[in-house]
Amino acid sequence: MKIINKFREIISNKHEIARNWKKQGKPVIGWTCTYTPEEIIHAAGALPVRITGDLEGTKYADAYLPTNMCSFAKSCMDVALRKKYDYLDGFIASNTCDNYGKMYDVWRYHVKTRFNHMINTPHKNTGSSREFFYIELKNFKDLLEKRLGKKISGEKLKSSIRVYNENRRLLRKTYELRKKNPPVITGRETLEIVLSSTFTSKEEHNLILKQLLDEIEERSDLPEEKVRLLVSGGEIDIVEPIKIIEECGANVVADDLCTGSRYFWNIVEESNDPLKALTDRYLDQIPCPFTYQYQERFRHVMDMAKTFDVEGVILFPIKFCDTYLFDSPQLTEELKNQGYPVLNLEWEHSMTGVAGLKTRIEAFLEMIRG
Amino acid sequence: MSEKKIENPLQTMRGFYRKHVEPFYEEAHRAKKEGKPVAWVASTTPIEILHAMDIIAVWPENYASVCAALQTSLKLCQAAERKGFSKDLCSYAKCVLGSIYEPVSLPAGGLPEPDFLIAATGACDTHLKWFQVVSRIYRKPLFLLDMPYNVTGVDGDNLEKTWIEHYKKQITEMIEFIEKQTGKEMDKNRLKKVVELSNKCNDLWTEIMNYRKETPCPMGAREAFSAILFMLSFAGTKRAIQFYEELRDEVKGRVKEGKGIIENEKYRLLWDNLPLWYNLGLFSYLRQMGAVVAVEAFSLVWAGKMDPSKPFESLARKHIPNYSNSSIDRKIEWFTWLSKEYKLNGLILAGNWGCRMMSIGEIDVRDAIQERLGIPSLVLDVDAADPRNSDMERVKANLRAFVEMLGKKK
Ligand code: SF4
Ligand code: SF4
Repeated sequence: MKIINKFREIISNKHEIARNWKKQGKPVIGWTCTYTPEEIIHAAGALPVRITGDLEGTKYADAYLPTNMCSFAKSCMDVALRKKYDYLDGFIASNTCDNYGKMYDVWRYHVKTRFNHMINTPHKNTGSSREFFYIELKNFKDLLEKRLGKKISGEKLKSSIRVYNENRRLLRKTYELRKKNPPVITGRETLEIVLSSTFTSKEEHNLILKQLLDEIEERSDLPEEKVRLLVSGGEIDIVEPIKIIEECGANVVADDLCTGSRYFWNIVEESNDPLKALTDRYLDQIPCPFTYQYQERFRHVMDMAKTFDVEGVILFPIKFCDTYLFDSPQLTEELKNQGYPVLNLEWEHSMTGVAGLKTRIEAFLEMIRG
Repeated sequence: MSEKKIENPLQTMRGFYRKHVEPFYEEAHRAKKEGKPVAWVASTTPIEILHAMDIIAVWPENYASVCAALQTSLKLCQAAERKGFSKDLCSYAKCVLGSIYEPVSLPAGGLPEPDFLIAATGACDTHLKWFQVVSRIYRKPLFLLDMPYNVTGVDGDNLEKTWIEHYKKQITEMIEFIEKQTGKEMDKNRLKKVVELSNKCNDLWTEIMNYRKETPCPMGAREAFSAILFMLSFAGTKRAIQFYEELRDEVKGRVKEGKGIIENEKYRLLWDNLPLWYNLGLFSYLRQMGAVVAVEAFSLVWAGKMDPSKPFESLARKHIPNYSNSSIDRKIEWFTWLSKEYKLNGLILAGNWGCRMMSIGEIDVRDAIQERLGIPSLVLDVDAADPRNSDMERVKANLRAFVEMLGKKK
């Protein structure tokens, strides 16, 4: 299976891909939150890339940031301080969680990307919040036009929406492969597939995805049959957490991750008012816990658990990620009421404490196997 | 050295808990029994609207601080942790959740059950999340006041028009929500009266805060952290005015006499964020070294005169620029202004283990104030209500070293 390795390659070469794009004279825009309407960036002829961290420590970021903050955001900052993101033309953040919301300023002070912008994102999808977000998106579009010197016409926006929707449909199809037992692709591979789509052009990603879908059914190295799990959490931007779970003897066959299903689950309506369609899609997507309508995420987790026929659920937020951590006890309760065993874990981006995690995961799987 | 001589306590503040806090919770419980609607409200909720609609509003944050001051917060935090809430969450939230899950010998008889809840996005993620949890436990509706974030860190006069418009509409939606809960319409005339009273309350508080600019400073942080309750919870009521008039008279008298809250004031400090409620003696520890906290970062954040003919717009201008809802630029501007106005020698930037909003960016604030004004800051790793997250020996050592350093600078 050569094609499945393509996604992993994109991830390892993500900075190079962005630099090559720049070499062709085209801009690169970094974004942080899944509430960023990438289509607008795409329509401006720029490459939108998701800002992620790495495993090289946070000694530079530690100089500016406190201990009690989410280590994912901190790692992103450290990567930037190591000048790995110096190719960015713009940095786009959202006030969607306190961690990244406040870190945006620290980024502005110390990373000094050419331009910075924060999309003022409502925390609910009703009433005037929708109108407000519409105006924000229009302002965002105007800003990009000004900073990148490119007009973003309605037609361009519509065609970007089509490209993005195609990617979403292909990813949904890819997820179907996990319904089989054993799943046709592993949880780690799935994460690589979704993550890689945020590091390269959607056009290219669509091509590879199509090829994957054509070839994958003939796969000879099928994953083994193991305990079927759903993993729920925020931005898992490195494969290690999923890798560890699978190495303990499970297949992650479904997820409720910001870097997984929630990134692409909802389609944008292809209508005459593309900005309105984007407003609706982003506000009505399977919500992140920072929002008012958190029950819809609970429902998503339940639906996924059911349709992907999982045997247990791991809630796996990162340490200090308040919005997820507040939801965990009640989500656990609801899942248990539905008969799913649940394991609550917190992880650190640096992947310290892995031994302890493994022991708890193994015990959990043991319990499921009965 | 006799320790008592150093502090000159304010008469008005004597027995504050017994005279003002406890009766308030008693009243709320009584109102609940009589069938009056009780709302739980979060920081940055425009309280004037609730007073105008005759709603009993209780502040879980205030309750958490009360529990911490009465040394019960630790066991409440642990109760929430037993329910599965992470130990790194906001200790205010843990404290209140713990009081619901394990309601044993609670201060002031606990919080009365809410009929509905109102959270706002102006302070932190935590408020919405914590109130969602409560709303699920009691099966009571929650309204979220979705405030625009002050991305550019501007002050109340320079807000974007679209922000103000959105905020005004949110207030309208909030009123509709309350009307639906209570079946009673809001009375515009009553709101006008409340706004007038709120303005009076605000004037008095501002006057008191202005007296603290004098040297020696007539009132310290320990007093202010309690006294501000009236600004937060009772702005727009007569009792607030009564209380502040009394306090103002005493503080004013002190300024005339040249009598400070401590004898021999040597250093004037700012305290950022919340105090360590379970150890308010820390302020006395500072006072023993001749250091007085002349101003707290939050004390004037809630001040701001309202225009009775444009109450919603006034609320927007008052609440959107709160530094918790703004880019760090705003905090830097705000602290620069406070440092000059209050002739400060140093800033104490107290973090809060469970609070990202307060902790992230403190280092940049420290550096900016040092660079602009040459005034040093001390960044402290502490927690407002969970004593396990503050190493008191280290905190004291840090404070001592900081004050000694100020001494050398002088
Ligand atoms: S987890 Fe939530 S706040 Fe964080 S990037 Fe995803 S959608 Fe945004
Ligand atoms: S301490 Fe911080 S997290 Fe807790 S309620 Fe206050 S602002 Fe929110």
